[in-house]
Amino acid sequence: MEKSMADKPDFENVPIISVKNLTVGYGDEPIIKNVSLEVLSGEVFAIMGRSGCGKTTLFKAIIGLLEPEEGEVFIDGDKVLPITHGGAQPILRKVGVLFQSGALFSSMTLAENVAFPIRQYTTLPESTVGQLVGLKLSEVGLEGYEKLLPRELSGGMQKRAALARAMALDPKILFFDEPSTGLDPLTSRELDQTIVKINQALGTTIVLVTHELESVFRIAARVIMIDGAEKGIIAEGSPEELRDHNGDPRVKDFFNR
Amino acid sequence: MGRLLDRLKLAFGKRKEIPIPRDVCAPRESWDSTDLRETFCISVENRTFDTIWVSLSGKMFMDNADLVREELLAIIRTESLKNVVMDMGQVAYLDSAGAAILTDIYRKCKELNNTVKLANVPERVTNLLEMVDLEHFKESAILKPREAPGLLVQIGEGAEKLYANAKDIVIFIGAVAQAMGQDLIRPRKIKWDRLWKLVERAGADGVPIVAALSFLMGVILAFQAAIQLRKFGGNIFVADLVSVSICLEMGPLLAGMIVTGRSGAAYAAQIGTMQVTEEIDALRVMAIDPINYLVAPRILAVALVLPCLTLMADLMGIFGGCLVAAFSLDLTPTTYFNQVRKVLEVSDVMKGLGKSMVYGIEIALIGCLRGFQVRGGAESVGGATTSAVVTSIFVLTVTNAVFSLLFHYVPKLWSG
Repeated sequence: MEKSMADKPDFENVPIISVKNLTVGYGDEPIIKNVSLEVLSGEVFAIMGRSGCGKTTLFKAIIGLLEPEEGEVFIDGDKVLPITHGGAQPILRKVGVLFQSGALFSSMTLAENVAFPIRQYTTLPESTVGQLVGLKLSEVGLEGYEKLLPRELSGGMQKRAALARAMALDPKILFFDEPSTGLDPLTSRELDQTIVKINQALGTTIVLVTHELESVFRIAARVIMIDGAEKGIIAEGSPEELRDHNGDPRVKDFFNR
Repeated sequence: MGRLLDRLKLAFGKRKEIPIPRDVCAPRESWDSTDLRETFCISVENRTFDTIWVSLSGKMFMDNADLVREELLAIIRTESLKNVVMDMGQVAYLDSAGAAILTDIYRKCKELNNTVKLANVPERVTNLLEMVDLEHFKESAILKPREAPGLLVQIGEGAEKLYANAKDIVIFIGAVAQAMGQDLIRPRKIKWDRLWKLVERAGADGVPIVAALSFLMGVILAFQAAIQLRKFGGNIFVADLVSVSICLEMGPLLAGMIVTGRSGAAYAAQIGTMQVTEEIDALRVMAIDPINYLVAPRILAVALVLPCLTLMADLMGIFGGCLVAAFSLDLTPTTYFNQVRKVLEVSDVMKGLGKSMVYGIEIALIGCLRGFQVRGGAESVGGATTSAVVTSIFVLTVTNAVFSLLFHYVPKLWSG
């Protein structure tokens, strides 16, 4: 499994996501405090940590689903506005999100699910939309399942369909929240392979929130590790660096299970 | 028969006839047995003057745990002045229930100021016991239901909830009004969860039950009225009573209640479940305003549908009254309907329809609001559904009262 960055010299390694001094919480106590990080354009970036450490909170704050108490996030030069305040439309157009549960719209068929963002942001004629939908679904290996409802599919297939929807507009950045949850190791590996394919073919920046080591070693170029007690980043670097050269016992334990 | 008596004897004679086996237990090939009392064996020996040696053989597991525990505790109680050594050498199997028994024994001995030690513990049992922390067994009240807070606290929390609820409602109504206002200004940009499908579900699907129930309501009203009116020979006035009260009050209210149960609950459950499965988040991330997308069409659907259902309820109710009039009041249908035509004014019907449109808006608004308030899983969705129906019923009744006052006093103000 090749990593993304080394063989893509033509993509500028410019930060496409900038997080500055972010503090986010759900009430009294913040979950993450004063977190800053950068994701470079075209890289596969993983946010890791133990369950409950705040990585999903960080993830939601970056895409604007949570309003931070302090700090700012910039995506591709635009400031991220919390979605309760309307969100920042230009940013949302460039972003695709795969939620942990897939979050397919249960009352629509797969085809309609994938068509949804296309219809929302473009004025393409229906026939073209149909073609795009067919293309996206076959990219994730779901050709033939277009007319099925989400509840008629297995968990893995739902995830892949949700990925097709997230990719529908060929976004610049793809966010994955725990993509391997509920998947068997083989399906998880196939999903990883799809992710790498997208990254290499389109130069899509990938941000992965996960606790699965295998996935991270397979596909991530850079990793940060969040710690719940510290409420912030305790390690940053390539997966190998964190496994072999990091002295922090928490990091060592996590990477050398 | 014999076995049952044994067991009874054991239950009654606990304090007196405790069967403490003084014989050493014979080792066995297999400790499996359908009779749980055969799955273990406990023998006691007084090794020194201040210690008893309790030998455990066989299995100590979920199925026989209560029996083993009883026997061991009985032994310890009888020999309450002695320290205990438990020889586990012949224990064939021990699971978490067994570990729980040992902690009970430990506590009991502690109460009696005796020590308890384990001897000859097999490796497997050691591994299990190593996982057991006495801390885990400290809180014996773990299974007790959570303590309800005191009355004063409950009153305070209730008031807080009421305030937060009122705030939520006002904010929600504002957001909906803004969303629908924007739709009116730019109808081309409307992106709605299919309106026609919602109309079908809320309206067409509800026709049978609304028709049936309003027909029955007409029958019941007429029947009860007839009983009283017959005394005065005022049979004909059944038509007045049924038609006016149904068109003004009962029709809208009945249709409203039915639609609350059907659509209000459905919307709360649908949107609540979408909240749980992150579908609402997914909409937001695709720059769709969930209020615009989900709530606006539902409000419009029910607001359009409920007056139609009410009209149908009015008609069916009047027909129901006609049935009773014809069969038990010696009125012909013609007489009945002529009276209805005489008495019923268009304004009566229109007032009822106007009320039902307002009801419709309220039902959909409340159902959707409760749905958005869901946080958590199935329990929360269930709560939201219930709350949607209850709140709707309450709001409908209050609205009805407000309308009654309005209809009564406003014409007076109008005419001076």
